Amino acid sequence: MELSKTDFKKLEEYAYQIRRLSVEMITYGKWGHIGGSFSMAEIFSVLYFKEMKIFTDDPLNEQRDRFILSKAHGSPALYAALALRGYYDIDNIYNYCEPGGLEGHTHMACAPGIEASGGPLGMGLSVSVGIALGLRRKENFRSRVYCVVGDGESNEGNVWEAAMSASHYNLDNLICIVDYNKAMAKGLIWDLMGLEPFADKWKAFGWNVQEVDGHDINEVYKALYKSRWILANGKPNVVIAHTVKGKGVERAEFNYKWHTHAPDPATADEMLRELSVNYGREPEGYSKLHINDKKDTFYGGE
Amino acid sequence: MEENSSIEMRDAFAEALLELGDKYEKMVFLDADLHTSTKASMFKAKYPERFYQFGIAEQNMFGAAAGLAIEGFIPFPSTFAVFASRRALDQIAISICYANLNVKIPGSYVGVPTSRAGASHNSIEDIAIMRSMPNMKVADPASNNDLKAIMRTAIETAGPVYFRIARYSVREIFPDSHSFSWGMGNILKQGKDVTLFGTGIMTAFCLDASELLEKEGYSAEVIHLGSVKPVDRQMIIKSVSKTGCAVTAENASVIGGFGDSVIEVVTDEYPVYVRKIGVRDRFLESAGMNDLFTQHQMQPDDIVKAAISVIRAKTQ
Repeated sequence: MELSKTDFKKLEEYAYQIRRLSVEMITYGKWGHIGGSFSMAEIFSVLYFKEMKIFTDDPLNEQRDRFILSKAHGSPALYAALALRGYYDIDNIYNYCEPGGLEGHTHMACAPGIEASGGPLGMGLSVSVGIALGLRRKENFRSRVYCVVGDGESNEGNVWEAAMSASHYNLDNLICIVDYNKAMAKGLIWDLMGLEPFADKWKAFGWNVQEVDGHDINEVYKALYKSRWILANGKPNVVIAHTVKGKGVERAEFNYKWHTHAPDPATADEMLRELSVNYGREPEGYSKLHINDKKDTFYGGE
Repeated sequence: MEENSSIEMRDAFAEALLELGDKYEKMVFLDADLHTSTKASMFKAKYPERFYQFGIAEQNMFGAAAGLAIEGFIPFPSTFAVFASRRALDQIAISICYANLNVKIPGSYVGVPTSRAGASHNSIEDIAIMRSMPNMKVADPASNNDLKAIMRTAIETAGPVYFRIARYSVREIFPDSHSFSWGMGNILKQGKDVTLFGTGIMTAFCLDASELLEKEGYSAEVIHLGSVKPVDRQMIIKSVSKTGCAVTAENASVIGGFGDSVIEVVTDEYPVYVRKIGVRDRFLESAGMNDLFTQHQMQPDDIVKAAISVIRAKTQ
């Protein structure tokens, strides 16, 4: 279950593209969450380009794996992954936060591949529990439900209600991935409301628990493979992915001030150049740098 | 009030659940540790494999209902109306209504008849809360046959629906063949001096009030608006343009609920005097049901007083 070198290269490339498109859409859309999108780049790359069974021409195919983004503000990373995977044209990302376009927080009516509507934190795992129960009712034993939960939103009681019910109903078709990026909107998690001992909490709620480096593509892949095929023991699975908020561009890394913050075009250009160089590529800046889009002012959410 | 039917509304709820369960294989029921109170226990006994117990965790139950609806099922997540509207509001608003999912929400133990349990269990805000959410439809049945008709229509309606069930025995005012359509009211009695708009169990109070008004020489038109949202705009306008004044009556707070939905139409289209009957702006205290109806001026006598006051106001 090692990834081939070709696969690894491909997934690394998609993680880069997910980050790049996230910055493009947040800058052009003048709103959004760079930190929490960057921290999920490898997770989405592995899910959408290796692990999940999906049908881009038939997005609601019954045999597909389901995906729910509970931390729905991480929408840019998901929209980017869906565009790169071919659910819709990449140009659509420039309609982010515009009327009729991609919603700021994920909304199931706004694009194919979005399975639920969200925004308020703590809710997505419950929706995933309902989907997992529904798959059982339909005797669909092949499909899996993947749900990405944020660390900050794990402060919500709703998450633990859902965790309790998932093990009560033996939902081993449910795989939760926690993007444990250590930073919330206004501070670091251990300062605001700490989660530790976090793995023990999930264990106590009756889940199989794995912990990985969430930016290590091989580790993420192995943990998801194990969740799907090896640990089928009647328990739901959680992969605690240790990540860095804003991973990929120095100024955003581990910096909660980039939780909600749209860069101006010049800053976006700098960030994207840095990002591409970090990936060993030719410098590649912001594609709309010289476009006067006549939109209203930037939202710097600090 | 006349002698009530011995069958409580929750028994009619259970009967309708069995009827619908038989007809709709996709229907599933979700409970938060109240199934013997709501009488959903009958559905559980007949369809145990379609009954999901979620324990005392309403937020999770409503989220899971969204998930089951996404997979094509028709979930009925059920609890007391207070917990649906207060505890799980965010889940209902975003996971269900924003996503426009096919979830049918029975709100049990609504309003004054939950009397002795007190403020925490007496739902007075649920109409106002539920009707304010886009995509949501809201119904409040006048009787057992009305409830059954609402449920038969709700399960055939795409999108989210909220309907109310009082723990109460109300006399039957509709035939067994009664049917329900969204945005359609029922004229129960023609009149010319004042319109009494009722919803839920208060419609029967309006009928009683109309008889008392008749003794005083006033002719009251009685209209039941079981479909609170969408409300029957045309019927409201047509009636008040004839009677020139109205009283609304609901088993809920007078703030933001059914009465205001009527007033919104009246002020838009045909402004006349309207007075609202319902729970005043106070939490209900633990007390007997009749004492509470009296305390909040919701008795048929109070409807009569309100009716006479609007009749006088329009003629002055």
